[in-house]
Amino acid sequence: MANMKLRTCVILVVLATGGQLSAHHSVPVNFDQSKEVSIEGVLTEIKWVNPHAHFRIDVKQPDGSVLEWLVEMGATNTMKRAGFPMDRFMVGEKYTIIGPPGRRDRAVLLDEVVMPDGTHLTPTMRPRTPGVRDQNGG
Amino acid sequence: MRTLSIVIVAVAAMCACSVEASAQSAAAQAAGQGQKPPAKIPDLSVNWIAGGGRTTFNDYQFTEEGEKRFKAYDFKVDDPAYKCIGASWTRIWLNPNVVVELRQTKDEIRMRYEWMDITRIIPLVDPLAANPRRNNVKGHPALGSSAAWYDGDTLVIDTIDFAPGYITTMVERAGIPQSRRMHTVERLHRDGDVLTIETTHFDPANYRTPVISTIKYQKTDWEIMKYGCTPEEASVVAPR
Repeated sequence: MANMKLRTCVILVVLATGGQLSAHHSVPVNFDQSKEVSIEGVLTEIKWVNPHAHFRIDVKQPDGSVLEWLVEMGATNTMKRAGFPMDRFMVGEKYTIIGPPGRRDRAVLLDEVVMPDGTHLTPTMRPRTPGVRDQNGG
Repeated sequence: MRTLSIVIVAVAAMCACSVEASAQSAAAQAAGQGQKPPAKIPDLSVNWIAGGGRTTFNDYQFTEEGEKRFKAYDFKVDDPAYKCIGASWTRIWLNPNVVVELRQTKDEIRMRYEWMDITRIIPLVDPLAANPRRNNVKGHPALGSSAAWYDGDTLVIDTIDFAPGYITTMVERAGIPQSRRMHTVERLHRDGDVLTIETTHFDPANYRTPVISTIKYQKTDWEIMKYGCTPEEASVVAPR
């Protein structure tokens, strides 16, 4: 039972270091940067907008029910300049999102995404250093 | 004879074109278009993006009213960015990863901020004039009304007539207030490819001492992009 719980879609990892704070206006107040979650789910909505791009993603629970999560990112313009491949995201495909959890329920800031083909991407298109957050603000 | 006629017509046409071009050039100059600023003033007319050094704030001191308003700030509902509105010039300069296009003409400073698609046209005035011409930014009452001049190699932007709001909504200073009494002076100084923006907020209703932010920008080859913020989308990520 304990193992099953561990295999649920949400894994909480307390980071050893606080890391560099982003300059974004809402990150420290909206997200708990001392923690990290990893959620796997099916993309249901894509919004490439400013100041915050965002996804909605359906995460299947161990009991078979589905919970919707909001995945927040920085500004679409910033991600475009970084060369983030927006056209590779498709509604209906399964993605894994990694980042600090929101201070409200079922929200996460995207620090890294695992694509259906196993590719790892970050909003800055630079490899992620655990515990260090790039500025990806709006 | 026929050849001579063709030559005369061609010369006449060239003269007419030359006169027209001169007239267009004079008109363009009169409008301040395409003019290079005089040699002594700094050339700030490039695109800029945040970077090139640390952002700093001084140690300011609240009045009782200022402290009360700061403590009352609720980031879940009070951040004007959820309505696509710029909170203050410090808040706008603080935004990372967006381009600011700055252009100088003989009569005015034109600044386009990618963040919230803010266009700021500031008349260049005599700083000693009693009531210099000022411009505001439509739809952004908390950004006041600005006039500008050069102080040696520094561009000075003087702003008054603010609606109440917040000097910044960023991290630990989120919600430090501004009142109608505020008077802001931005000093823009270029050193190589780095632009330093020192903004001093005088607001005796909220502070016993001025609030001073120093923000660095660097020259960039990025072009400005449309931001296209809508309150419906911006508020989706507002915490609940």
